[in-house]
Amino acid sequence: MSGESLLVRKIDWGTVLDHIPAWKADQVIKLLNLESLKQNPDVSVIVLHNVPSKKLGRKDIVKLYHYMVSEDEAEILALVLPQITINYIRDWKVEKHSPGLPEKIVGKIRCPETTCITNVEREPATPRYIVMKEHGVIACEYCDTLLEIERIPDFLVG
Amino acid sequence: MPSSISGGRGGESPLGLKNTLAGRDIISCRDLSREDAELVFSLAEEVNSGTIHLEDTLAGKKVALIFVEPSTRTFQSFYVAARSLGAEVLSIHDPAVSSIAKGETLYDTVKMIEGYGADCIVLRHPARGSARFAAEAAAVPVINAGSGSQEHPTQALLDVFTIKSRLGQVDGVKIGMLGDLRYSRTIPSLCYLLAKYNGVKIFFMAPPLLQVRREVELYLAEKGVTYRKAVEADEIKEMMPELDVLYVTRIQKERFPDPTEYERVRGSYVVDAKLLAYGRRDLGVMHPLPRVDELSPEVDKLPNAWYFEQARNGLPIRKALLHLVLGGAG
Repeated sequence: MSGESLLVRKIDWGTVLDHIPAWKADQVIKLLNLESLKQNPDVSVIVLHNVPSKKLGRKDIVKLYHYMVSEDEAEILALVLPQITINYIRDWKVEKHSPGLPEKIVGKIRCPETTCITNVEREPATPRYIVMKEHGVIACEYCDTLLEIERIPDFLVG
Repeated sequence: MPSSISGGRGGESPLGLKNTLAGRDIISCRDLSREDAELVFSLAEEVNSGTIHLEDTLAGKKVALIFVEPSTRTFQSFYVAARSLGAEVLSIHDPAVSSIAKGETLYDTVKMIEGYGADCIVLRHPARGSARFAAEAAAVPVINAGSGSQEHPTQALLDVFTIKSRLGQVDGVKIGMLGDLRYSRTIPSLCYLLAKYNGVKIFFMAPPLLQVRREVELYLAEKGVTYRKAVEADEIKEMMPELDVLYVTRIQKERFPDPTEYERVRGSYVVDAKLLAYGRRDLGVMHPLPRVDELSPEVDKLPNAWYFEQARNGLPIRKALLHLVLGGAG
């Protein structure tokens, strides 16, 4: 019996985000569309921190009961946390999902350039980025500033 | 005999070229092709030589100048250009006496000025990305007249026009860029535009704190432009004999996030006759102006000084650009 199953039971419908680096589950929550989560009264979010893992030693798990992560969300999760595995659960059946990489990211990430128009108070400018995976960066579509992919968690909104 | 052309009314086409800039936003030199730039240069050259007059080609049009940051040359040259083309000018030049001082957003300012019938908006703003944001908000073309430390595409057009006028061509030019390459908005625009030409070689001459931003380097690498960096004074002197042009920039004190960083680099370079002695006799010295103490006045009287001519070129370039963006014949 694994450490996980000792802590929380399996779900019959929803998404299990596994192999999240230990104590990084909060980043996953920030990357999800929280408004969409909140609008659905049937959704439950179960967060497991620092459970034993053969692959990572210790890991976090996020179970989203009655919520299917969208393709856009899956792509951003895979970009920011490349170790993550995404499992869709339908009637207890597990379907592993391997998302592609996003070409663009809208919102979710604050531009690291303090003088960017998206950081100007009250301007209705939503940050938008082009993913330049080959250079390991995302580029702000407004101000051109580059942000290393591994630094994205430091700039998550929320 | 000088000819006049009718802007935006399907009039005589003096250059016989297709106007690829009609109705377009001019936000970044990344978006401009070599052909776009050459179209502006051809028209500016005719305007400069007096063979074409564009007077009154924008009669009945309104050009809005929104300048949320100080400007002398850019504002005045756009103002004179728009007026001499017959356009009415709506201007916000002193944000202290406009609603911007009350906290009005750029978005609202753009929507308001558009509501007053502006056919084109020329924008200078301290925020990076401001021009692209304004262009998304506005239905009419937006011309970026300086977006913080990001870009200044019309400056790059007049810079490359000056190089072309002086050297006869831009292909193969070897240009040194000396000074504040990190916070200068003219440097990225100039690099992006030069990248559209063949065989250009760029030498970035600056201390590490002021070196060129990574996005500029990535763009140049992507376009196959050769560039080198020099950080020490000795390396800079070694590069001097290779240069056709030395482009000098002021240290952008107002853009330093930390004043102690500014203190560390101020006065770290001065272009004077002594430095120019390391270069070729026909080396051209350019500067977007204003200068502070990085370019000695003793250079003014040397034949190497191109910068006052460069500043003058702002007028024909901005006349040509306004004419073309507002749909005039090419």
